[in-house]
Amino acid sequence: MIEVAGLRIVLPPSVVAVDGVDLAIQPGEFVVILGRSGAGKTTFLRALNRLVEPTAGSVRVAGRAVTGAGAAELRAARRQIGMIFQQFNLVRRASVLDNVLAGRLGYVAPLPSLVGRVPPADRALALECLGRVGLGHLAGRRADTLSGGEQQRVAIARALAQAPSVILADEPTASLDPALTTEIMGILKAINVERRLTLVVSQHQLETALAYATRIVGFRRGRVGFDGPPSAVTPAVVDAIYGGEEGNPPRVPLDKRDNKEAK
Amino acid sequence: MKRAALFVALLVLAWVAWDTGADPVRLARGLPWIADFVRRMVPPDLAVLPAACKGALLTVEIALLGTAVAAVLALPLGFLSARNVAPTPIFYPARAVLNLFRSVDTLVYALIFVAAVGLGPFPGVLAVIAYTTTSLAKLYSEAIEGIEPGPVDAITATGATRLQILRFGVLPQVLPLFLSYVLYRLETNIRAATVLGFVGAGGIGFYLQTYLRMIDYPAASTALLVTIVMVMVVDALSSRLRARLV
Repeated sequence: MIEVAGLRIVLPPSVVAVDGVDLAIQPGEFVVILGRSGAGKTTFLRALNRLVEPTAGSVRVAGRAVTGAGAAELRAARRQIGMIFQQFNLVRRASVLDNVLAGRLGYVAPLPSLVGRVPPADRALALECLGRVGLGHLAGRRADTLSGGEQQRVAIARALAQAPSVILADEPTASLDPALTTEIMGILKAINVERRLTLVVSQHQLETALAYATRIVGFRRGRVGFDGPPSAVTPAVVDAIYGGEEGNPPRVPLDKRDNKEAK
Repeated sequence: MKRAALFVALLVLAWVAWDTGADPVRLARGLPWIADFVRRMVPPDLAVLPAACKGALLTVEIALLGTAVAAVLALPLGFLSARNVAPTPIFYPARAVLNLFRSVDTLVYALIFVAAVGLGPFPGVLAVIAYTTTSLAKLYSEAIEGIEPGPVDAITATGATRLQILRFGVLPQVLPLFLSYVLYRLETNIRAATVLGFVGAGGIGFYLQTYLRMIDYPAASTALLVTIVMVMVVDALSSRLRARLV
Protein backbone atom coordinates (compact mmCIF):
# COMPACT_ATOMS: atom_id res chain seq x y z
CA MET A 1 0.00 0.00 0.00
CA ILE A 2 2.88 2.33 0.86
CA GLU A 3 6.31 1.84 -0.65
CA VAL A 4 9.14 4.07 0.47
CA ALA A 5 12.62 3.64 -0.98
CA GLY A 6 15.81 5.50 -0.15
CA LEU A 7 13.90 8.43 1.35
CA ARG A 8 16.13 11.26 2.43
CA ILE A 9 14.93 14.70 3.49
CA VAL A 10 17.14 17.65 4.24
CA LEU A 11 15.26 20.55 5.76
CA PRO A 12 16.57 24.09 5.38
CA PRO A 13 19.11 25.22 6.35
CA SER A 14 20.80 21.78 6.48
CA VAL A 15 19.07 19.48 8.95
CA VAL A 16 18.95 15.86 7.86
CA ALA A 17 15.48 14.94 9.16
CA VAL A 18 15.08 11.63 7.32
CA ASP A 19 18.25 9.83 6.45
CA GLY A 20 17.69 6.90 4.10
CA VAL A 21 14.43 5.13 4.94
CA ASP A 22 13.12 2.04 3.12
CA LEU A 23 9.72 0.84 4.23
CA ALA A 24 6.90 -1.23 2.70
CA ILE A 25 3.51 -1.15 4.39
CA GLN A 26 0.82 -3.68 3.47
CA PRO A 27 -2.92 -2.93 3.12
CA GLY A 28 -4.76 -2.99 6.46
CA GLU A 29 -1.72 -2.56 8.64
CA PHE A 30 -1.88 -0.28 11.68
CA VAL A 31 1.65 1.06 11.84
CA VAL A 32 2.74 3.21 14.75
CA ILE A 33 5.91 5.20 14.35
CA LEU A 34 7.78 5.70 17.60
CA GLY A 35 10.69 7.96 18.32
CA ARG A 36 11.89 10.92 20.31
CA SER A 37 10.87 14.37 19.22
CA GLY A 38 13.22 15.36 16.45
CA ALA A 39 13.71 11.76 15.30
CA GLY A 40 12.05 12.56 11.96
CA LYS A 41 8.56 11.07 12.51
CA THR A 42 6.61 14.15 11.46
CA THR A 43 8.83 14.90 8.50
CA PHE A 44 8.53 11.30 7.33
CA LEU A 45 4.72 11.35 7.53
CA ARG A 46 4.51 14.69 5.75
CA ALA A 47 6.69 13.34 2.97
CA LEU A 48 4.19 10.54 2.30
CA ASN A 49 1.77 13.08 0.76
CA ARG A 50 4.51 15.57 -0.10
CA LEU A 51 3.56 18.30 2.30
CA VAL A 52 7.33 18.15 2.70
CA GLU A 53 9.39 17.79 -0.45
CA PRO A 54 11.80 14.83 -0.26
CA THR A 55 15.40 15.51 -1.14
CA ALA A 56 15.94 12.02 -2.56
CA GLY A 57 14.17 8.69 -2.80
CA SER A 58 10.72 7.62 -3.87
CA VAL A 59 7.26 7.27 -2.34
CA ARG A 60 4.37 5.30 -3.82
CA VAL A 61 0.95 5.15 -2.16
CA ALA A 62 -1.88 2.87 -3.31
CA GLY A 63 -0.18 2.27 -6.62
CA ARG A 64 0.37 5.95 -7.42
CA ALA A 65 3.70 7.71 -7.53
CA VAL A 66 3.79 10.55 -5.01
CA THR A 67 7.36 11.62 -5.71
CA GLY A 68 7.90 12.87 -9.23
CA ALA A 69 4.16 13.39 -9.80
CA GLY A 70 2.96 16.50 -11.63
CA ALA A 71 0.48 18.87 -10.00
CA ALA A 72 -2.66 17.00 -11.14
CA GLU A 73 -1.20 13.55 -10.40
CA LEU A 74 -0.10 14.72 -6.97
CA ARG A 75 -3.63 15.95 -6.16
CA ALA A 76 -5.03 12.59 -7.30
CA ALA A 77 -2.54 10.82 -5.03
CA ARG A 78 -3.25 13.13 -2.10
CA ARG A 79 -7.01 12.71 -2.17
CA GLN A 80 -6.66 9.00 -1.37
CA ILE A 81 -4.43 9.82 1.62
CA GLY A 82 -6.30 11.26 4.60
CA MET A 83 -4.27 13.19 7.14
CA ILE A 84 -4.82 13.95 10.80
CA PHE A 85 -2.71 16.46 12.71
CA GLN A 86 -1.67 17.07 16.30
CA GLN A 87 -3.34 20.50 16.32
CA PHE A 88 -6.46 19.23 14.46
CA ASN A 89 -5.98 21.98 11.84
CA LEU A 90 -9.65 22.69 11.32
CA VAL A 91 -10.68 25.94 9.67
CA ARG A 92 -11.86 27.46 12.91
CA ARG A 93 -14.36 30.01 11.65
CA ALA A 94 -16.04 27.52 9.31
CA SER A 95 -18.84 25.18 10.35
CA VAL A 96 -18.18 21.60 11.35
CA LEU A 97 -19.90 20.34 8.18
CA ASP A 98 -17.88 22.69 5.95
CA ASN A 99 -14.73 21.36 7.54
CA VAL A 100 -15.74 17.79 6.74
CA LEU A 101 -16.77 18.82 3.22
CA ALA A 102 -13.20 20.02 2.68
CA GLY A 103 -12.39 16.30 2.44
CA ARG A 104 -14.32 16.25 -0.85
CA LEU A 105 -12.33 19.06 -2.48
CA GLY A 106 -10.21 16.62 -4.44
CA TYR A 107 -13.36 15.09 -6.00
CA VAL A 108 -15.77 17.96 -6.71
CA ALA A 109 -15.53 20.22 -9.77
CA PRO A 110 -13.06 22.93 -8.73
CA LEU A 111 -14.80 26.03 -10.13
CA PRO A 112 -18.31 25.47 -8.68
CA SER A 113 -16.71 24.53 -5.36
CA LEU A 114 -15.10 27.97 -5.15
CA VAL A 115 -18.52 29.63 -4.92
CA GLY A 116 -19.67 27.06 -2.39
CA ARG A 117 -21.65 24.69 -4.63
CA VAL A 118 -21.43 21.14 -3.35
CA PRO A 119 -23.20 18.17 -5.02
CA PRO A 120 -25.83 16.59 -2.74
CA ALA A 121 -24.05 13.22 -2.85
CA ASP A 122 -20.88 14.77 -1.40
CA ARG A 123 -22.88 16.53 1.28
CA ALA A 124 -24.57 13.25 2.21
CA LEU A 125 -21.21 11.50 2.41
CA ALA A 126 -19.79 14.26 4.62
CA LEU A 127 -22.77 13.95 6.98
CA GLU A 128 -22.34 10.17 7.07
CA CYS A 129 -18.66 10.55 8.01
CA LEU A 130 -19.60 13.04 10.71
CA GLY A 131 -22.11 10.50 12.03
CA ARG A 132 -19.39 7.84 12.04
CA VAL A 133 -17.41 9.85 14.61
CA GLY A 134 -20.59 10.54 16.58
CA LEU A 135 -20.87 14.25 15.84
CA GLY A 136 -23.78 14.40 13.39
CA HIS A 137 -25.68 16.66 15.80
CA LEU A 138 -22.93 19.31 15.70
CA ALA A 139 -22.83 19.77 11.90
CA GLY A 140 -23.96 23.39 12.03
CA ARG A 141 -21.69 24.53 14.85
CA ARG A 142 -18.62 26.69 14.28
CA ALA A 143 -15.54 24.47 14.52
CA ASP A 144 -13.79 26.56 17.17
CA THR A 145 -16.69 26.16 19.59
CA LEU A 146 -15.93 22.43 19.93
CA SER A 147 -13.66 20.84 22.52
CA GLY A 148 -10.27 19.47 21.53
CA GLY A 149 -11.46 15.88 21.42
CA GLU A 150 -14.47 16.82 19.30
CA GLN A 151 -12.28 18.84 16.93
CA GLN A 152 -10.01 15.85 16.40
CA ARG A 153 -13.08 13.70 15.65
CA VAL A 154 -14.15 16.29 13.05
CA ALA A 155 -10.67 16.04 11.57
CA ILE A 156 -11.06 12.26 11.37
CA ALA A 157 -14.41 12.74 9.62
CA ARG A 158 -12.71 15.11 7.16
CA ALA A 159 -10.11 12.43 6.40
CA LEU A 160 -12.83 9.77 6.02
CA ALA A 161 -14.74 12.03 3.60
CA GLN A 162 -11.80 11.65 1.23
CA ALA A 163 -12.75 7.97 0.91
CA PRO A 164 -9.05 7.30 1.43
CA SER A 165 -7.11 4.07 1.22
CA VAL A 166 -4.54 5.35 3.70
CA ILE A 167 -4.78 7.59 6.75
CA LEU A 168 -1.72 9.33 8.15
CA ALA A 169 -1.96 10.66 11.69
CA ASP A 170 0.77 12.85 13.10
CA GLU A 171 0.72 12.68 16.91
CA PRO A 172 -3.10 12.73 16.85
CA THR A 173 -3.45 12.58 20.64
CA ALA A 174 -0.49 14.66 21.81
CA SER A 175 -2.75 17.67 22.53
CA LEU A 176 -5.41 15.60 24.33
CA ASP A 177 -5.78 14.14 27.82
CA PRO A 178 -5.51 10.36 28.44
CA ALA A 179 -9.25 9.62 28.29
CA LEU A 180 -9.52 11.34 24.92
CA THR A 181 -6.38 9.59 23.74
CA THR A 182 -8.16 6.26 24.24
CA GLU A 183 -11.26 7.57 22.45
CA ILE A 184 -9.37 8.90 19.40
CA MET A 185 -7.10 5.88 19.08
CA GLY A 186 -10.19 3.67 19.46
CA ILE A 187 -11.90 5.40 16.54
CA LEU A 188 -8.76 5.07 14.41
CA LYS A 189 -8.50 1.37 15.30
CA ALA A 190 -12.18 0.81 14.45
CA ILE A 191 -11.72 2.47 11.06
CA ASN A 192 -8.67 0.33 10.47
CA VAL A 193 -10.60 -2.85 11.21
CA GLU A 194 -14.00 -2.00 9.64
CA ARG A 195 -12.81 -0.42 6.42
CA ARG A 196 -9.52 -2.28 6.07
CA LEU A 197 -7.85 1.13 5.87
CA THR A 198 -4.09 1.33 6.21
CA LEU A 199 -3.06 3.56 9.10
CA VAL A 200 0.30 5.15 9.79
CA VAL A 201 0.29 6.94 13.13
CA SER A 202 3.14 8.67 14.91
CA GLN A 203 3.04 8.49 18.69
CA HIS A 204 5.41 9.42 21.45
CA GLN A 205 3.50 7.41 24.08
CA LEU A 206 4.86 3.90 24.16
CA GLU A 207 1.89 2.32 25.98
CA THR A 208 -0.59 3.73 23.50
CA ALA A 209 1.53 2.59 20.58
CA LEU A 210 1.78 -0.99 21.87
CA ALA A 211 -1.95 -1.17 22.61
CA TYR A 212 -3.14 -0.32 19.11
CA ALA A 213 -0.43 -1.10 16.58
CA THR A 214 -0.06 -4.22 14.48
CA ARG A 215 3.45 -3.08 13.68
CA ILE A 216 5.92 -0.74 15.34
CA VAL A 217 8.50 1.24 13.44
CA GLY A 218 11.07 2.97 15.63
CA PHE A 219 12.75 6.08 14.29
CA ARG A 220 16.07 7.28 15.57
CA ARG A 221 17.94 10.20 14.07
CA GLY A 222 16.05 9.93 10.82
CA ARG A 223 16.57 6.21 10.36
CA VAL A 224 14.50 3.12 11.04
CA GLY A 225 16.02 1.62 14.20
CA PHE A 226 13.36 -1.01 14.81
CA ASP A 227 10.66 -2.63 12.71
CA GLY A 228 8.50 -5.41 14.09
CA PRO A 229 5.34 -6.45 15.93
CA PRO A 230 4.48 -4.88 19.32
CA SER A 231 5.32 -8.18 21.01
CA ALA A 232 8.93 -7.80 19.90
CA VAL A 233 9.33 -4.44 21.63
CA THR A 234 11.57 -5.28 24.59
CA PRO A 235 13.26 -2.84 26.97
CA ALA A 236 16.38 -3.20 24.88
CA VAL A 237 14.44 -2.07 21.83
CA VAL A 238 12.94 0.85 23.75
CA ASP A 239 16.41 1.81 24.86
CA ALA A 240 17.65 1.61 21.29
CA ILE A 241 14.89 3.94 20.12
CA TYR A 242 14.91 6.41 22.98
CA GLY A 243 18.07 5.98 24.99
CA GLY A 244 21.59 7.28 24.77
CA GLU A 245 20.66 10.92 24.48
CA GLU A 246 19.89 13.50 27.12
CA GLY A 247 16.28 13.84 28.22
CA ASN A 248 13.98 11.35 29.90
CA PRO A 249 13.17 8.15 28.05
CA PRO A 250 9.51 7.18 28.35
CA ARG A 251 8.37 4.84 31.06
CA VAL A 252 8.40 1.18 30.10
CA PRO A 253 5.07 -0.56 30.76
CA LEU A 254 5.19 -2.78 33.84
CA ASP A 255 4.68 -6.06 32.03
CA LYS A 256 7.63 -5.29 29.75
CA ARG A 257 10.12 -4.53 32.49
CA ASP A 258 12.69 -7.10 33.41
CA ASN A 259 13.66 -7.64 37.03
CA LYS A 260 16.68 -5.43 37.05
CA GLU A 261 14.67 -2.41 35.94
CA ALA A 262 11.73 -3.20 38.21
CA LYS A 263 14.07 -3.00 41.18
CA MET B 1 27.37 56.31 22.25
CA LYS B 2 23.91 57.25 23.55
CA ARG B 3 25.09 60.78 24.26
CA ALA B 4 26.62 61.16 20.84
CA ALA B 5 23.32 60.02 19.23
CA LEU B 6 21.35 62.48 21.34
CA PHE B 7 23.76 65.27 20.43
CA VAL B 8 23.47 64.50 16.72
CA ALA B 9 19.65 64.36 16.97
CA LEU B 10 19.54 67.77 18.68
CA LEU B 11 21.89 69.19 16.08
CA VAL B 12 19.70 67.94 13.23
CA LEU B 13 16.55 69.35 14.86
CA ALA B 14 18.20 72.73 15.45
CA TRP B 15 19.25 72.92 11.83
CA VAL B 16 15.78 71.89 10.66
CA ALA B 17 14.16 74.55 12.87
CA TRP B 18 16.44 77.20 11.38
CA ASP B 19 15.85 75.96 7.82
CA THR B 20 12.05 76.02 8.16
CA GLY B 21 12.10 79.47 9.74
CA ALA B 22 10.43 78.19 12.92
CA ASP B 23 10.09 81.29 15.10
CA PRO B 24 7.98 81.45 18.29
CA VAL B 25 7.99 85.22 18.19
CA ARG B 26 6.47 85.22 14.74
CA LEU B 27 3.76 82.82 15.97
CA ALA B 28 3.03 85.07 18.97
CA ARG B 29 2.67 88.07 16.68
CA GLY B 30 0.28 86.10 14.47
CA LEU B 31 -2.02 84.95 17.27
CA PRO B 32 -4.30 87.99 17.13
CA TRP B 33 -4.94 87.25 13.48
CA ILE B 34 -6.11 83.74 14.33
CA ALA B 35 -8.41 85.20 16.97
CA ASP B 36 -9.72 87.64 14.38
CA PHE B 37 -10.28 84.78 11.94
CA VAL B 38 -12.24 82.79 14.50
CA ARG B 39 -14.26 85.87 15.50
CA ARG B 40 -15.30 86.45 11.91
CA MET B 41 -16.45 82.83 11.65
CA VAL B 42 -19.14 83.18 14.33
CA PRO B 43 -21.99 82.97 14.10
CA PRO B 44 -22.00 80.36 11.32
CA ASP B 45 -24.16 81.24 8.35
CA LEU B 46 -26.85 78.59 8.47
CA ALA B 47 -28.29 79.69 5.12
CA VAL B 48 -25.56 77.59 3.41
CA LEU B 49 -26.31 74.51 5.57
CA PRO B 50 -28.24 72.65 2.83
CA ALA B 51 -25.42 73.26 0.33
CA ALA B 52 -22.80 72.19 2.86
CA CYS B 53 -24.76 69.02 3.68
CA LYS B 54 -25.02 68.23 -0.01
CA GLY B 55 -21.24 68.65 -0.29
CA ALA B 56 -20.67 66.44 2.73
CA LEU B 57 -22.89 63.73 1.31
CA LEU B 58 -20.91 63.85 -1.93
CA THR B 59 -17.67 63.47 0.06
CA VAL B 60 -19.06 60.38 1.79
CA GLU B 61 -20.12 59.02 -1.60
CA ILE B 62 -16.65 59.56 -3.07
CA ALA B 63 -15.04 57.73 -0.15
CA LEU B 64 -17.65 54.95 -0.19
CA LEU B 65 -17.44 54.17 -3.91
CA GLY B 66 -13.66 54.56 -4.01
CA THR B 67 -13.12 52.30 -1.00
CA ALA B 68 -15.57 49.65 -2.26
CA VAL B 69 -13.91 49.38 -5.67
CA ALA B 70 -10.45 49.39 -4.10
CA ALA B 71 -11.44 46.66 -1.61
CA VAL B 72 -12.16 44.32 -4.55
CA LEU B 73 -9.23 45.38 -6.75
CA ALA B 74 -6.87 44.88 -3.81
CA LEU B 75 -7.84 41.20 -3.41
CA PRO B 76 -5.72 39.68 -6.22
CA LEU B 77 -2.90 42.14 -5.50
CA GLY B 78 -2.94 41.21 -1.83
CA PHE B 79 -2.63 37.48 -2.53
CA LEU B 80 0.08 38.05 -5.15
CA SER B 81 2.18 40.07 -2.71
CA ALA B 82 1.92 37.69 0.25
CA ARG B 83 5.17 35.82 0.70
CA ASN B 84 3.57 32.58 1.87
CA VAL B 85 1.10 32.10 -1.00
CA ALA B 86 2.58 33.91 -4.02
CA PRO B 87 5.21 32.25 -6.21
CA THR B 88 8.54 34.02 -5.61
CA PRO B 89 8.91 35.41 -9.18
CA ILE B 90 5.54 37.16 -8.75
CA PHE B 91 5.94 38.19 -5.13
CA TYR B 92 8.84 40.61 -5.60
CA PRO B 93 7.43 42.60 -8.53
CA ALA B 94 4.02 42.74 -6.83
CA ARG B 95 5.57 44.13 -3.65
CA ALA B 96 7.53 46.68 -5.67
CA VAL B 97 4.37 47.87 -7.45
CA LEU B 98 2.58 48.26 -4.10
CA ASN B 99 5.36 50.29 -2.56
CA LEU B 100 5.64 52.48 -5.65
CA PHE B 101 1.95 53.42 -5.79
CA ARG B 102 1.60 53.74 -2.05
CA SER B 103 4.32 56.39 -1.87
CA VAL B 104 1.99 58.90 -3.57
CA ASP B 105 -0.87 60.34 -1.53
CA THR B 106 -4.55 60.52 -2.52
CA LEU B 107 -4.36 64.30 -3.02
CA VAL B 108 -1.58 63.96 -5.59
CA TYR B 109 -3.61 61.33 -7.46
CA ALA B 110 -6.54 63.77 -7.39
CA LEU B 111 -4.44 66.44 -9.11
CA ILE B 112 -3.50 63.94 -11.82
CA PHE B 113 -7.07 62.69 -12.36
CA VAL B 114 -8.57 66.21 -12.37
CA ALA B 115 -6.14 67.03 -15.16
CA ALA B 116 -7.11 63.80 -16.93
CA VAL B 117 -10.93 63.69 -16.66
CA GLY B 118 -11.84 67.22 -15.54
CA LEU B 119 -13.42 68.70 -12.39
CA GLY B 120 -16.02 67.01 -10.20
CA PRO B 121 -16.42 64.06 -7.86
CA PHE B 122 -15.35 61.43 -10.44
CA PRO B 123 -11.62 62.26 -10.35
CA GLY B 124 -12.00 62.17 -6.56
CA VAL B 125 -13.33 58.61 -6.75
CA LEU B 126 -10.46 57.62 -9.04
CA ALA B 127 -7.92 59.17 -6.68
CA VAL B 128 -9.35 57.26 -3.71
CA ILE B 129 -9.24 54.03 -5.73
CA ALA B 130 -5.64 54.60 -6.82
CA TYR B 131 -4.31 55.10 -3.34
CA THR B 132 -6.58 52.74 -1.40
CA THR B 133 -6.12 49.73 -3.71
CA THR B 134 -2.41 49.54 -3.01
CA SER B 135 -2.62 50.44 0.65
CA LEU B 136 -5.33 47.81 1.23
CA ALA B 137 -3.38 45.25 -0.81
CA LYS B 138 -0.43 45.81 1.51
CA LEU B 139 -2.64 45.29 4.59
CA TYR B 140 -4.27 42.22 3.00
CA SER B 141 -0.90 40.66 2.22
CA GLU B 142 0.30 41.17 5.79
CA ALA B 143 -2.87 39.50 7.08
CA ILE B 144 -2.29 36.58 4.72
CA GLU B 145 1.30 36.24 5.89
CA GLY B 146 0.05 36.01 9.47
CA ILE B 147 -2.31 33.05 9.00
CA GLU B 148 -1.97 29.72 10.76
CA PRO B 149 -0.29 27.24 8.38
CA GLY B 150 -2.10 24.24 9.93
CA PRO B 151 -5.48 24.54 8.19
CA VAL B 152 -3.69 25.27 4.90
CA ASP B 153 -1.72 22.02 5.30
CA ALA B 154 -4.95 20.16 6.02
CA ILE B 155 -6.72 21.53 2.93
CA THR B 156 -3.63 20.84 0.79
CA ALA B 157 -3.58 17.25 2.03
CA THR B 158 -7.12 16.64 0.73
CA GLY B 159 -5.90 17.01 -2.86
CA ALA B 160 -7.34 20.51 -3.31
CA THR B 161 -6.21 22.76 -6.15
CA ARG B 162 -4.23 25.94 -5.50
CA LEU B 163 -7.34 28.11 -5.80
CA GLN B 164 -9.33 25.80 -3.52
CA ILE B 165 -6.56 26.02 -0.92
CA LEU B 166 -6.73 29.82 -1.03
CA ARG B 167 -10.53 29.82 -0.90
CA PHE B 168 -10.99 27.24 1.87
CA GLY B 169 -7.72 27.34 3.81
CA VAL B 170 -6.64 30.98 3.63
CA LEU B 171 -9.69 33.17 2.97
CA PRO B 172 -11.78 32.09 6.02
CA GLN B 173 -8.84 33.00 8.24
CA VAL B 174 -8.32 36.49 6.80
CA LEU B 175 -11.81 37.63 5.77
CA PRO B 176 -12.76 39.30 9.10
CA LEU B 177 -9.43 41.12 9.10
CA PHE B 178 -9.96 42.23 5.50
CA LEU B 179 -13.38 43.69 6.34
CA SER B 180 -11.96 45.47 9.35
CA TYR B 181 -9.19 47.01 7.20
CA VAL B 182 -11.74 48.12 4.60
CA LEU B 183 -13.80 49.92 7.26
CA TYR B 184 -10.67 51.52 8.67
CA ARG B 185 -9.74 52.71 5.18
CA LEU B 186 -13.25 54.08 4.71
CA GLU B 187 -12.77 56.24 7.81
CA THR B 188 -9.43 57.62 6.66
CA ASN B 189 -10.72 58.08 3.11
CA ILE B 190 -13.57 60.28 4.30
CA ARG B 191 -11.02 62.55 5.94
CA ALA B 192 -8.84 62.45 2.85
CA ALA B 193 -11.86 63.17 0.62
CA THR B 194 -12.68 66.38 2.50
CA VAL B 195 -9.58 68.02 1.05
CA LEU B 196 -10.03 66.52 -2.43
CA GLY B 197 -12.43 69.38 -3.19
CA PHE B 198 -9.56 71.83 -2.74
CA VAL B 199 -8.02 70.60 -5.98
CA GLY B 200 -11.35 70.46 -7.78
CA ALA B 201 -12.26 66.83 -7.12
CA GLY B 202 -15.68 67.50 -5.57
CA GLY B 203 -17.31 67.26 -2.16
CA ILE B 204 -17.39 69.40 0.97
CA GLY B 205 -13.81 70.60 0.41
CA PHE B 206 -14.93 72.41 -2.72
CA TYR B 207 -17.49 74.42 -0.71
CA LEU B 208 -15.05 75.14 2.10
CA GLN B 209 -12.45 76.44 -0.28
CA THR B 210 -14.95 78.53 -2.25
CA TYR B 211 -16.31 80.24 0.87
CA LEU B 212 -12.79 80.97 2.10
CA ARG B 213 -11.84 82.50 -1.23
CA MET B 214 -14.99 84.64 -1.19
CA ILE B 215 -13.93 85.75 2.33
CA ASP B 216 -17.34 84.49 3.53
CA TYR B 217 -16.12 83.23 6.90
CA PRO B 218 -19.56 82.50 8.46
CA ALA B 219 -20.37 80.21 5.51
CA ALA B 220 -16.94 78.57 5.76
CA SER B 221 -17.52 77.86 9.43
CA THR B 222 -20.81 76.10 8.58
CA ALA B 223 -18.95 73.92 6.07
CA LEU B 224 -16.29 73.18 8.67
CA LEU B 225 -18.86 72.21 11.30
CA VAL B 226 -20.64 69.92 8.85
CA THR B 227 -17.30 68.27 8.04
CA ILE B 228 -16.55 67.67 11.70
CA VAL B 229 -19.99 66.15 12.36
CA MET B 230 -19.73 63.97 9.22
CA VAL B 231 -16.32 62.58 10.17
CA MET B 232 -17.42 61.91 13.74
CA VAL B 233 -20.58 60.10 12.68
CA VAL B 234 -18.79 57.88 10.15
CA ASP B 235 -15.97 57.11 12.63
CA ALA B 236 -18.46 56.10 15.30
CA LEU B 237 -20.47 53.86 12.97
CA SER B 238 -17.38 52.27 11.48
CA SER B 239 -15.59 51.54 14.74
CA ARG B 240 -18.76 49.99 16.11
CA LEU B 241 -18.94 47.69 13.09
CA ARG B 242 -15.25 46.85 13.37
CA ALA B 243 -15.57 45.92 17.01
CA ARG B 244 -18.13 43.29 16.02
CA LEU B 245 -15.90 41.72 13.38
CA VAL B 246 -12.97 40.35 15.32
